[in-house]
Amino acid sequence: MPFELSRDAIGILGCVALLLFVLAGVRVYIAAAIVGLVGIVAIIGWKAGAGMVGTIPHSKSVNYTLSVLPLFILIGYLAYHAGMTQTLFEACKRWLGWMPGGLAVSTIFAVAGFSAVSGASTAAAAVFARVAIPEMLKAGYDRRLAAGVVAAGATLDSLIPPSAIMVVYAIIVEASIGKLLVAGFIPGFISAICYSIIVVIWSTWNPNVGRPIRGFTWGERFASLPGTFPVVGVILIIFASMLFGWATPTEAGALGAFVVYISALLNRMKWSELNSALLETAKLTVMIFAIIWGILIFVRFLGFAGVPERFSEWVVSLPVPRIVIMLGILFVYLVLGCFMDAIGMLLLTLPVFYPAVIKLGYDPIWFGIIVVKMCGVCLLTPPIGLSCFVVGAVRRDIPLADVFRGAMPFVIADFMAIGIFLAWPWTVTWLPDQLMN
Amino acid sequence: MAHADASDPTLGTGRGALGAVDRIAHRIEKATALISGYGIFALMLVGVAHVLGRKFFGLPIFGYIDIVEIMMTFLVFLGLAYTDRLGGHIRMELFVSFLRGRWLPAFELVGVVLGLAIVAVLFVYSWDHAMRAYTLGDSTIDAQIPLWPSKMVIPVSLGLLFIRLLVSLWAYVRLLLDPSKTPVAVPDIIDPEQQALREAAAAGALDDERADKVATHGSVR
Repeated sequence: MPFELSRDAIGILGCVALLLFVLAGVRVYIAAAIVGLVGIVAIIGWKAGAGMVGTIPHSKSVNYTLSVLPLFILIGYLAYHAGMTQTLFEACKRWLGWMPGGLAVSTIFAVAGFSAVSGASTAAAAVFARVAIPEMLKAGYDRRLAAGVVAAGATLDSLIPPSAIMVVYAIIVEASIGKLLVAGFIPGFISAICYSIIVVIWSTWNPNVGRPIRGFTWGERFASLPGTFPVVGVILIIFASMLFGWATPTEAGALGAFVVYISALLNRMKWSELNSALLETAKLTVMIFAIIWGILIFVRFLGFAGVPERFSEWVVSLPVPRIVIMLGILFVYLVLGCFMDAIGMLLLTLPVFYPAVIKLGYDPIWFGIIVVKMCGVCLLTPPIGLSCFVVGAVRRDIPLADVFRGAMPFVIADFMAIGIFLAWPWTVTWLPDQLMN
Repeated sequence: MAHADASDPTLGTGRGALGAVDRIAHRIEKATALISGYGIFALMLVGVAHVLGRKFFGLPIFGYIDIVEIMMTFLVFLGLAYTDRLGGHIRMELFVSFLRGRWLPAFELVGVVLGLAIVAVLFVYSWDHAMRAYTLGDSTIDAQIPLWPSKMVIPVSLGLLFIRLLVSLWAYVRLLLDPSKTPVAVPDIIDPEQQALREAAAAGALDDERADKVATHGSVR
């Protein structure tokens, strides 16, 4: 070679190249894999480098623990056909409707319940835009509140298991999938409470925004419960099996999917609907795994070039308290989330950020919850907040600007929730630590 | 099949030789994706049988973990080309969506050429990997299931993806030469609003009339 580049230079060049390709619209898995390959070859030569890269897709995908992901995705695509949304919403309405903005509070908890049988926020947004918004509008609710609460509530889906994005985080940073999923419950609940507080404040301030729905007897309340049994069943299966170690996450995923599948059959799912649900499941599964092995090729290259070590050394040497660095990282996610899909954003940043965060002494599970929460925020912020777009797509009568405006107060609620997790990290780590040695 | 192809309205409508090649390739791709989909369904059934068998009859499925690992390549690789054709792989469309005329196919070609390069390398090495398992007679530890068919799925999937990328190469070169032509055999670039519509349709949350419109025109307007 006429000139030799130092490893640092190769590492930086690789990061810049990946960034340029991604900006140019190259599919992320292809951009990451090719930059990773060229980088590794530049450092250790063609024969060893290409040979190593060639085994990564197989060795990184064929792993029993990863088989939970397709099952969680399947649960999500079957959930709509199981028709649990209406019964959940009805039950929440009867129990929580008396609060100021009662229907909106009910929506939050119904979506939270639905999240327990679904792993994708956009599906939850689409389904509840159809179920909950008409009823809120009929009761004279402000359309911004109605649309915003559905868009925001749907983001709970990524925190409450089964959550695909949480599994992706666990895979990339090699954390325990089961532990992370269990850890999502309390933060999911805290987030739902924060959303409800916003609704109550909003509709107490201006009672015309959302009036309470009263007049249900206790008999009617209890009568609404049996319809929610499939959801409760899935929650119990997934939660209990992982908490007490009765089943692996994959087995819990299989049982959960089966319960949802049976509910869908009872709800007269058509053959063609099963077919398209399975095709969508396959598509999303392939997409997520492709980006996982693509990024892992790039991660191997970063490792050879020593980028994560250098970056974490630099971060740790910064003369500021670690909370400032954490806030900086959250700010980066907030900005990136305005331009990128959540999974793409996570996978592109974690290989560099994660080692630094761990070196600063933060807990891997705790950081996972924070990061997943930030992904939820990204679904609400313009210009590409997908959750808002989905609500707008289902409800053509509500202008998109109103959906985004309606979601804004809930972004504040998200910051409240993140503030709670930052101030009291045990709200996140207590449950997984207590019950899963 | 109101919602079946809601995620891709333009599929199978292209004219000429390119359209025909696209249709043939996509038929194969869709079959492979269905295998993945039903494979995931089977993964669920195997898991349920395993847990119930263990809990109630003391009879877990022998070699359950081996079976799952063998299945994995079918579930996560086979649909690669299908997903590519439907524009399902994550990318950042923010800047690309502003491009007009020749610029758009020019940028798309960058991605296609990079894709061809990496897929070719991965194809060669995964093929070697599978052939090695075949000649050595590798099998799983517990259940002694031969490993090569599972490993062979990877070069097969990458091969299909390579063919798909060649079709895209053809399609984008055609558009580069004459940007006024109607795009054929490539996913269209959609804004977040269109993406949201398709996701809503895929979740089954649009009423049937509007879902049909998304399926046939890619939009409800």
